[in-house]
Amino acid sequence: MTISQTRNVGLPLMKLVRWKGVPILQQLHLEEQLLRTSSENWCIINDGTNDPTIVMGISGKPAQLLKLDSVLNDRIPVIRRYTGGGTVVVDCGTVFVTFICNKDAVPGLQPYPQPIMSWSSLLYALVFRGFGDFSLRENDYVFGNHKFGGNAQSITKNRWIHHTSFLWDYEARNMAYLKLPARAPEYRVARDHLEFICRMKDYMPRSVFVDRTIKAVETYFSVRPVQLEAMETNLNSKFSHSTKLLTEQELEAAAFESHFEKGLSHSL
Amino acid sequence: MISRGILQQKFRNAIRRWLRSCAAQTSPLSPSPVVSLGNSSYIGFSSQPIVSRYAMAPFSMVNDKLMDLNIPYTIKRSCFSSHALLDLPASGIVSIPLAQTGEGIAECELLKWFVKEGDQVEEFQPLCEVQSDKATIEITSRYKGTVSQIIYVPGDIVKVGETLLKMVVEESQGSNLTSDAPDDMKSMGAEVCDSSIQGSDLRNSNTGGVLATPAVRNLAKQYGVDINHILGTGKDGRVLKEDVLTHAVQKGLCKEPSSLSVNSVEHFQGEEKYSHTLAADGWQYEDKTVPIRGFQRAMIKSMTLAAKIPHFHYVEEINCDALVKLKASFQEENRDPEVKHTFLPFMIKTLSMALSKYPLLNSCFNEELQEITVKGSHNVGIAMATPHGLVVPNIKRVQSLSILEITKELARLQQLALANNLCPEDISGGTITLSNIGAIGGKFGSPLLNSPEVSIIAIGRLQKVPQFVDDENMYPASIMTVNIGADHRVLDGATVARFCNEWKLYIEKPEQLMLHMK
Repeated sequence: MTISQTRNVGLPLMKLVRWKGVPILQQLHLEEQLLRTSSENWCIINDGTNDPTIVMGISGKPAQLLKLDSVLNDRIPVIRRYTGGGTVVVDCGTVFVTFICNKDAVPGLQPYPQPIMSWSSLLYALVFRGFGDFSLRENDYVFGNHKFGGNAQSITKNRWIHHTSFLWDYEARNMAYLKLPARAPEYRVARDHLEFICRMKDYMPRSVFVDRTIKAVETYFSVRPVQLEAMETNLNSKFSHSTKLLTEQELEAAAFESHFEKGLSHSL
Repeated sequence: MISRGILQQKFRNAIRRWLRSCAAQTSPLSPSPVVSLGNSSYIGFSSQPIVSRYAMAPFSMVNDKLMDLNIPYTIKRSCFSSHALLDLPASGIVSIPLAQTGEGIAECELLKWFVKEGDQVEEFQPLCEVQSDKATIEITSRYKGTVSQIIYVPGDIVKVGETLLKMVVEESQGSNLTSDAPDDMKSMGAEVCDSSIQGSDLRNSNTGGVLATPAVRNLAKQYGVDINHILGTGKDGRVLKEDVLTHAVQKGLCKEPSSLSVNSVEHFQGEEKYSHTLAADGWQYEDKTVPIRGFQRAMIKSMTLAAKIPHFHYVEEINCDALVKLKASFQEENRDPEVKHTFLPFMIKTLSMALSKYPLLNSCFNEELQEITVKGSHNVGIAMATPHGLVVPNIKRVQSLSILEITKELARLQQLALANNLCPEDISGGTITLSNIGAIGGKFGSPLLNSPEVSIIAIGRLQKVPQFVDDENMYPASIMTVNIGADHRVLDGATVARFCNEWKLYIEKPEQLMLHMK
């Protein structure tokens, strides 16, 4: 502790929240609240979430991205988050790492999507050094040409957030809820999910990943762990969250519309 | 269709009539009939002095582009008729495009608006949120103004460069000028200055200060004119070089008698030339604002920290004759074309040997905890001057590296530094710093600590100076001056002096290195 403190004198402060199994909706709510109402730098690591959940980007349309019949049948929760980007299915095998920073927290870093993405890849290059052929490919973290980490960002006037969902492990049947997206990175070359992604557990132990991530963060920030109970973050705030859990009615309506349109096009 | 020549003549006659009446100190004339000057039409001239003064110029000095540029604008400004000024808001509308978000994104999806038509907007206020690929981005306003028209709705795809919305940007408000038409026409010269100043003042009071580059401000200072009194013809009311020159010329004209003789015109011409010459000089002394980025910013942070530490400096001269011979012999035996032997690796290795004996110089001080941590690894930082600024990468665990290994690692770091490709691990974790400022020049420097380290060594240039041996015999010796900067909270003069003696011994007598080698 002493050594890391002395090394970090002069670096900006970053508060670290370490969770395990916290519901992804609560995590997203906290993130957005910290982004918009805090003026400090934060790192949130959530080591797995509780139930399998589908998380779409801010402009995600369920009918286009999900196989709604199965989703409704299996009663899988669907969330629309406040950041851009694509759709993921998350569960206890997903590790989430989020950075919330003031725009001048990292010296020389311009608060735009690509520079932030590049900076994050430098940080994770330290984490994965010696463990696999890691790189940033378009906007994904890959080993070789298999994606294991998806990113999304939100940039406001003075701050930005960059969050990642890491596929430490996943269940093939959960991936089956997702359609092949219309908008995909070029390197995907129309591969289906199971051909496109890979499991991080084949490359490194889970605890090692978390520890190395924190160590990598320490090269940029003076990290201070804080205890934050997931529940209390939501109870006390009057903050209006953009991240929403879609209701069953909304999903049913979307499913109905899409069936209706298909029906129409067939009849024509 | 009235030809331009006839129009000009009519206009000139109208002006002359008015001037005569002015000289007789009568009340203002009734407005002259509508005339056209180029493309502008004016309903009346309620402030004719200004018109007259400038009206002369285009007819007598058709070649003077400067005045041509200025006149229609100035007349507009001085035309205190509300109708004419109704045209102004139209020219105050600015189209706000979707700007490039710093990458090759061609289009974004508009997600939501934070403002609506009619809303007052401050500079830097968020206008809307867009999504580009993986990111949602808040677009903020460059201007202060009012939203006049929203072009896109949420869900639309907007190409980069397309107009997102239109805003009325605040500049001189027309309605304010109507009440300020001067009634008394004392002398034309005074009126010219007063009216233009009034116009400028009002403009100034609306915007709270003029927009102008440092070069233009400098120019205004040279002429002794108040830039806030100058009407800007640039974008957003920005004051340009031409505006300053014109204003200076006007001021000169102000002092002239009111007779509109050829002489005065010539004088005007003459002044013009003069001002142009000065302008040419003025451009040479342009200030430049440098944004603080990257290494510069890091340097500001670390030096601000260093300023809080109580430094002391210890200076010593080291005889490098043996080192020069050693380097020469290394180079002679060198078969590897990739490797180039320099003094630095040997100095780094001997430094590490000395640190083994005096480990306190290789420590870090934590002010908060009031703790000294003696570092186990000798991670020697080497200060490097790159085109991007000062950077200090370090060589890890020097105590376990050979001189050759240090040479190779140093070369690797130097290459990365020049290419601005150093990774965070290369520049963090240093325990002591070496600054070879002598490579550039200088006898010795007075280095500032690289916090949280407690010592730093600046090496001066190797100089051949005469040295005495025993009785008055002189011989030339390669002398290098070193300056050790140390944190006086951790180290005292005696410790640093002893450390330096040890290091000096290894450099002056390299064979001692072999004695202590493990």
